[in-house]
Amino acid sequence: MFKISTFLPWTSLPYLILFFFSLPIIIVLSSLLGDWSENWIHLYNYVLFDYISSSIYLVLGVSILVLVIGTVTAWLICSYEFHGKRFFEWALILPLSIPPYILAYTFTGLFDSYGTANNLIRVIFNLDTSFILFPNVRNTLGAIVVFAFTLYPYVYLVSRSAFLNQSQSMLEAGRMLGLNKVQIFYKLGLPIIRPGLIGGLMLVIMETLSDFGAVDHFAVQTFTTGIFRTWYGMYDLSTAMQLASLLLLFVGLIFIFERISRKKAKYTSNTSTFRPPKINQLSGIKSCAASLICFIPIFIGFLLPVSELTIWAFQYNLDFFNHKFITTMTNTISLAIIAAILCAFFALLINFSIRLKKNTLSVTSNSLLSMGYAVPGLILAVGIVQLFAWLDKSIFYDTRIILTGSLAGLVFAYVIKSYALANSTFESGFERISRSIDDSAKTLNSGGLNLLRRVHFPLLKTSFLTSILLVTSEVVKELPATLILRPFNFDTLAVSTYIYAAEERMIQASAPAIAIVITGLIPIIILTKMIRSSRPTDR
Amino acid sequence: MHKLLKLTSQLILSTLLMSTSIASEVNIYTSRHYDSDDALYAEFTKTTGIQVNVISGSGNALMERLKAEGDTSPADIFFTVDAGNLWRVQKEGYFKSINSKKINDIVPNNLRGPNDEWIAIAKRARVVFYNPDNTSIEELSNLSYEDLADPRWNGGIAIRSSNNMYNQSLVASLIANHGIELTEKWAKGLVANFIRKPQGNDRAQIIAVANGEAKLAVANSYYVGIMLSGSAGNDQLEAAKKVKIYFPNQDNRGAHINISGAGILKYAPNSHNAIKFLEFLLSERVQRYMVNLSFEYPVLENIEPHPSIAQFGLTFKEDQTSVADYGKYNLNAVQLMDRAGWQ
Repeated sequence: MFKISTFLPWTSLPYLILFFFSLPIIIVLSSLLGDWSENWIHLYNYVLFDYISSSIYLVLGVSILVLVIGTVTAWLICSYEFHGKRFFEWALILPLSIPPYILAYTFTGLFDSYGTANNLIRVIFNLDTSFILFPNVRNTLGAIVVFAFTLYPYVYLVSRSAFLNQSQSMLEAGRMLGLNKVQIFYKLGLPIIRPGLIGGLMLVIMETLSDFGAVDHFAVQTFTTGIFRTWYGMYDLSTAMQLASLLLLFVGLIFIFERISRKKAKYTSNTSTFRPPKINQLSGIKSCAASLICFIPIFIGFLLPVSELTIWAFQYNLDFFNHKFITTMTNTISLAIIAAILCAFFALLINFSIRLKKNTLSVTSNSLLSMGYAVPGLILAVGIVQLFAWLDKSIFYDTRIILTGSLAGLVFAYVIKSYALANSTFESGFERISRSIDDSAKTLNSGGLNLLRRVHFPLLKTSFLTSILLVTSEVVKELPATLILRPFNFDTLAVSTYIYAAEERMIQASAPAIAIVITGLIPIIILTKMIRSSRPTDR
Repeated sequence: MHKLLKLTSQLILSTLLMSTSIASEVNIYTSRHYDSDDALYAEFTKTTGIQVNVISGSGNALMERLKAEGDTSPADIFFTVDAGNLWRVQKEGYFKSINSKKINDIVPNNLRGPNDEWIAIAKRARVVFYNPDNTSIEELSNLSYEDLADPRWNGGIAIRSSNNMYNQSLVASLIANHGIELTEKWAKGLVANFIRKPQGNDRAQIIAVANGEAKLAVANSYYVGIMLSGSAGNDQLEAAKKVKIYFPNQDNRGAHINISGAGILKYAPNSHNAIKFLEFLLSERVQRYMVNLSFEYPVLENIEPHPSIAQFGLTFKEDQTSVADYGKYNLNAVQLMDRAGWQ
């Protein structure tokens, strides 16, 4: 039989894709080779260590909180039957549609000393205006809460799909060895979902580190606010890019550390003995407690901000929802879907080729592209603008610009910015497919693309859908890169929101913000239905 | 899925083609995001038949796009708030002289960049807000920015973060007048008087004064106009009713002024239209329209700002320090604020 694998298009193609898409990140990193300006002395003397320590504090706090929220809710959903479970199963993803900066704005709108929540308490209990019940949220702790409750779905999604894929036989073995329920959770449940969990956590960490909007609003000085202060205030873009590169190197170190620490462990299950875990019925108080635990994250991360936004929107500009809004929404959705599909295919192809033939170069470049997620959007956009302008001038050799300010450019930016989301989903998806399946396929002469198409892809359906879901909702929210890369007179929903939100005109921003949420919800609802129907028992 | 892909690729193509040249147009990169600006662009097209194309975004990011595009850039006009931004574009060599006698006659010298490469379109003052219920006008007599560092205001001053360019420009103007050393001493005194860690935007500071949390707030003049208009909600409207503006430094150099401004780019493909656009912005009718919506001060002297801003006084003395200095000393200002512990 004709063997495609001899000229291996899918092992050289990924390299080309990786290389091309990594270029803007390489441009950012190359700033490290440039001159180090004397502003570094100032940074070192006065602010650098504050930036670092507050970022670490932030990342640690957010990590702990998302791990707890994400795994506990996923475990409840996968192991127990309780009141409202069918609803919570998908509703727990809803906060994905809320960008952290919007939650931050609604938080201050609610909890500032004269915010909605405090006013309400004063009215209800007829208290003096000096009475303030809710604490100030404009600090690191507030920022931790904001990031944790908007980002935990990353951990929830991967944990849920991993818990669903674990086999009942393993849990029974645990029980026979005398473990109780809690011990089963963290001795067997947690380790088996570890690769996915770490992947999800990495996404949370990268998004936390690259965020500017929320921390700026809370006046928390982080490494990223430092990057922008250096760029905007000291007019020193190259130092700002160097700072961003150091941030990237830090993220790279976490990547490497994580890989070394799990090098020896393998986490595949043999699907032939797969039996779905048994679901235990909870009753009475326990059932209520489980519902409450699942309700809290949805309340803080979704219901609260949406109600505050709705109040604002009714106070002001409901007329945002006009014909222009339809255009803006179409723009947003079509861009998001194109980027999501591209990301999913790239990640599928690249992870597949890594699985076939693992080498340092492919793994490294895959991680490099994943790091695009950790680059603050505007800094990445600068890298992209420089690349495009160069391509326009050297390749297209036109007197007008073609790529810069084209939609192709925007899609390119979105792919870099959200590749990590697709990659981490496929990475953990592939890890759960037993190697023995590949071997049996090969003995049946099903190698190469055939293996991907007929064996792996059906097993990766959930990963594929999850990846599209994550990227779509990310692109709908993305703004800094959109702002400077877009063509003339081209708006997305995030742009409309940001234009107001950047000046804290949240009342005006609320209508487009709600539109983002609604738009983000459409893929979430469709895809959760599909994901739900693709439980491992069905395959 | 296949159908969807086809549809979206069609959409992309049509948008790409749409953005190619239209006979008469002017392309604007702007970091101003006011709804009123959209109406202005529409009005310009209506009057002149010239199509206005806009990209709005962070001024610094747009500048990087300009730089990367170089001589192929489609941009004609760079429109922004804060003189520091304009100064930087000029320093990088991306502006050219605006050769219009009409414009130079209207815009006074201190509101134009060196070599007439950029001009102010509207003005704003960075002023002190107080609440007459707890701070009397006598307490404020002859108050200057310099006085804000005086220990008698200990624990009474609200001002936003030093990340903000309006604060950076204010400090830069103090450096231009007093030098780095004295300004740093002043900044340290000011930081000691903060009522809280800097947080929120200018409006949050005004609200702090309205609620009696702080005695004085430093903020831009037009914010109180926006708040009084009710477009930002009832809470802000109520807060704004409680506060008054005090214009600092009236017995010496005057209140700190910053600008919304624009310049014409060196490689502008539609220079002629760009000049027309700037002249349009400086016409009486448009100035009146603009300041009525943005609550800024007009550049034309015979026009009054919106009544809700005019009520605080129109005859105040304006600092004549050249706005170009804000850009020049911005780096020093930021470093100085870091040293003073102004977060």
